[in-house]
Amino acid sequence: MRPSSFRYHKAESVDHALELLARFGEDGRPLAGGQSLVPMMNLRLAAPEHLVDIGGLPLTDIAFTDTAMRVGALVRHRQYLAEPRVAHHFPALHEAVTWIGHPTIRENGTTGGSLSHADPTAELALAAMLYDAVMIVRNTAGERRIAAADFFEDAYVTALQPGEMLVAAEFPLPPVGAAGAFVEFAERRGDFAIAAIGVSITVADGRIATAAIACSGAEPRPIRAPEIEMMLSGRPLTDPQSRAAGRRLAAAIDPVGTFLTTADYRKALIGELTARAIDTACARAASR
Amino acid sequence: MTSADRRHQIGGADRPRHIGARVRRVEDRRLLSGAARYLDDIRQPGMLHLGFVRAQAAHARITDIDTSALADLGAEIRVFTGQDTSGLTIKAPAGHDPKSAALPDGHQGYWRMQDSEQPLLADGVVRFVGEPIAAVLAEDAYVAEDAAERIAVAYEALPVVATMAQAQDPSIPPIFAGWTSNVYIERQMAGGDLAAARAAAAHVIRRTYYNQRQAGVPMEGRGVVAAYDPADRVLTVWSSTQIPHLVRTYLAEELGFPESRLRVVAPEVGGGFGVKGQVFVEEVLVAWLALKTGRPVKWVEDRREHLVASIHARDHLHTLTAYVAADGRLLGLEADITVDVGAYSTFPFTAGGDPGMAAKVLPGPYDIPAYAATFRALATNKCPLGTYRGVARPSAVFSQERLMDDIAAEIGMDPIELRLRNVVRTFPYKNALGFSYDEGSYAQALERVRDLVAEDRAAARASRASATTRIGVGVACFIEQSSHGTPDFTRRRVPIETGYIAARVTMEPDGEVTVDIGLQNHGQGHETVMAQVAADALGVAPENVHVRQGDTLTTPYSVGTWGSRGGPLGGGAVHEAALKIAAKLKAIAAHLLQTDASRIALHGGRAVVIGNEGSYVEIRRLARIALRNVDQMPAGMEPGLEAQCSLDGPADGTYSNAVHAAVVEIDIATGKLRLRRFVVVEDCGTILNPLIVDGQVRGGVVQGIGSALLEHFIYDEDGQPLTTSFADYLMPLAPEIPNIEVHHIETPTPRTPLGAKGLGEGGAIGPPAAIANAVADALGVPVSATPLNANTLWTLAADIRAAAETDRDG
Repeated sequence: MRPSSFRYHKAESVDHALELLARFGEDGRPLAGGQSLVPMMNLRLAAPEHLVDIGGLPLTDIAFTDTAMRVGALVRHRQYLAEPRVAHHFPALHEAVTWIGHPTIRENGTTGGSLSHADPTAELALAAMLYDAVMIVRNTAGERRIAAADFFEDAYVTALQPGEMLVAAEFPLPPVGAAGAFVEFAERRGDFAIAAIGVSITVADGRIATAAIACSGAEPRPIRAPEIEMMLSGRPLTDPQSRAAGRRLAAAIDPVGTFLTTADYRKALIGELTARAIDTACARAASR
Repeated sequence: MTSADRRHQIGGADRPRHIGARVRRVEDRRLLSGAARYLDDIRQPGMLHLGFVRAQAAHARITDIDTSALADLGAEIRVFTGQDTSGLTIKAPAGHDPKSAALPDGHQGYWRMQDSEQPLLADGVVRFVGEPIAAVLAEDAYVAEDAAERIAVAYEALPVVATMAQAQDPSIPPIFAGWTSNVYIERQMAGGDLAAARAAAAHVIRRTYYNQRQAGVPMEGRGVVAAYDPADRVLTVWSSTQIPHLVRTYLAEELGFPESRLRVVAPEVGGGFGVKGQVFVEEVLVAWLALKTGRPVKWVEDRREHLVASIHARDHLHTLTAYVAADGRLLGLEADITVDVGAYSTFPFTAGGDPGMAAKVLPGPYDIPAYAATFRALATNKCPLGTYRGVARPSAVFSQERLMDDIAAEIGMDPIELRLRNVVRTFPYKNALGFSYDEGSYAQALERVRDLVAEDRAAARASRASATTRIGVGVACFIEQSSHGTPDFTRRRVPIETGYIAARVTMEPDGEVTVDIGLQNHGQGHETVMAQVAADALGVAPENVHVRQGDTLTTPYSVGTWGSRGGPLGGGAVHEAALKIAAKLKAIAAHLLQTDASRIALHGGRAVVIGNEGSYVEIRRLARIALRNVDQMPAGMEPGLEAQCSLDGPADGTYSNAVHAAVVEIDIATGKLRLRRFVVVEDCGTILNPLIVDGQVRGGVVQGIGSALLEHFIYDEDGQPLTTSFADYLMPLAPEIPNIEVHHIETPTPRTPLGAKGLGEGGAIGPPAAIANAVADALGVPVSATPLNANTLWTLAADIRAAAETDRDG
């Protein structure tokens, strides 16, 4: 459990980092919090020849405009919890972050690292899907904006090309009064999730106006559940028919079993978590 | 006799002041400040680093080991294979001939025995994934790993024995040449009239129980450094081991090296839990490589190696048949015990260790007139089984205590009442196998637990109406034999051969005390407890006692630390040795004070005349006299203040007892289990240090919770390990652990010098049974296997969900 030999490069600026990554192509990887890459290197599941340390770059802010929240690639997970506007505008994102690993991981892990690593159970990836976040990606030639739905392609596979680096994620602000909830299930607190559900709703006249539901554990990447979202819109907050929504989502998915959890269990769990997340989001909206 | 009486009796007027006190651990300062030096901190000039090429196939013939890719690594690499180490093995016959007297009892028939030897490096065939094939030496550990990765091994597949069923399938060939089956050993134990029990039984209850395969997982893995010094022809081996003297003897015999010139040192050891209580191929190999190359050699195990290739534990399948009278009394018990012990027999407890222990302890705390067990160890293509905290007892207690609950359910009796009706109440008690139990508090502990969980049991009953959340309460009542003497090992026929622990106590000229003890501290707090014991016997403060251990150069020969023996036997040896010095101090003091030695007491750093506290001599002056100013000693007395005691255990040992109770809450829709409470009532005889006892119990319970709920080492049908990192091998973490409530009853044993019984393992023994019983109570279904992870609990709750659906729809 010692890495293969590699060369270490300290990036002095974003442009410098992009130059280095362009030069190394597939042999280079950016190093930020190291929470996934370093264990993978120690297990020799990853053996990049060049590590480009971007830890010192000025991509560390959560910034708000009138229409969006922009999260720099080097924003640590704990920063979401320290910024009150995150919980205000994106309650499900805020709640999701509390489920990321353990304090050490939240202290070191970065937004860019988590989104680029694209673990299928990652909380941030699910939240990015839920809130229709846009990934801001750069290389030496310029910048691309990629919708979360197009960014996460498969387990650990994203739309990032060699030489590209995620510099920020942009979350459009939901309408005022949006409520949300995030529920996760893992064998132990802090583990990779077996399943997780994020819900975000807007409200009008005591009813759900629009709903977004994102789910991990069903496929090798986080998914949205547009049918269930449609089903929910117009339902009263006091009776969202969450059980029916959960059953319907469970029936629509086809998760894969592992040696620790069966497919049937995952299916049932996703149905249950869906109902609970909807109920929690509605209860929160109703209590305001 | 109460423990207070007994304590008073120890040393007469020298009343214990430190034994039984809440003395904080002296070792914690260095452990918490980073000053401790572990194996990986050891560096030797010119040291080479060892990396391994380990088997990736579970059972295969090695057809080629290709090292050609090492040439372009640009480093000097030396590679050794099984051809180089041919003939060097770990030998651990399960039917070891102790070369001593005939077996002491006639009730153990030998059916079958077959022996294996584990080569240091594979002898052309690999028998489990992780088995060492080649040793790679390089100038640094990173390069050693690079080199190991570049060596290509070609395999020719052999039939894999991956399950107990396959191991017992005669159509699958044995994994060792010359074997007639994949059974290491099959034996029987019996006592009492089982036919009479069968005839008289009103109920016959037969159940099968299974405990999963686990790893041991101390925080620090294994590691070895060896260096040969040509100046004095001494080979020094540092190993992260619990048993330095046994490692030394094994190395001497296997390498043909004089034991007097071998030194084995266990530095600070970051946990062992029994895992480091075996002699491993890596230890012999590193020593051999140091001799072979003339260079110091170092190997530090990584976590993946630890999980796949140190030792595993449990993997027990038990079928029990209980013969029960109409009033719930157990008349007889039959057990059929099968353990998957993996690919090789481990030294010194062997392939027969786990099944034999399960068979021996299954009668437990109950008065069962007739008992018979058949037990067997099966060879499979998996990591060898070794000792891990509790050693078979967690599985035996799981089966025994699940059975008690299943009997209670079958005959409609309260499970605690059923236990109270059956526990041994008069002592000493001789069980059906002839083992003699010393005094315990079995009924008292049960009654105490019954009171402590009364409200929880009411809450559990109230939850039966809920379709979403169920509460359950489960108990496990058990005894733990420890401190057993040499005859017990002779009977088992294992190469451990004996179990005595030796201590040497020395008072220095300044009155400070050194204790050299053949234990090896890897978290137990020996340095604190042994200082307390020596301080009381010598009338000094624990701060004046320096405890040294783990180094064969300085400590007297002993079997090391395992089997919950350190407190009762190690503490007893220190006590006895210190008393010899105390007697001498008293004689010198009496001479100076012109009185009789029987009128001298030692305390507070002084030898005082009993009843006349103003008449005294400082103990440090007595030490100065005994070692320097010997002309002031009584005429004819030998100078010096050094004494040793080698203390073997009583033949049948001591029997600690405990009752564990778990209160669980289960989310019916998700299978999520929350431990609402975990209660322990334990009796380990005289408590030497309550802080350490509580810590031992709590640490053990945490591991037991892991066994019950999470920890599972999984192999697929090809013998490939699936849980090779902490992402998949799940240990309990702080959020999973409730506050563990520990209550004590103190019934000192007359069988050890301080009245102490073993307590190191007990915490880990009860939880699987208590938690499984709580789950069965909560869900109203039988529970026959662990681990009880969320998916499993969700499956067990299916009927409750179905009933709720019916209610809703109907």
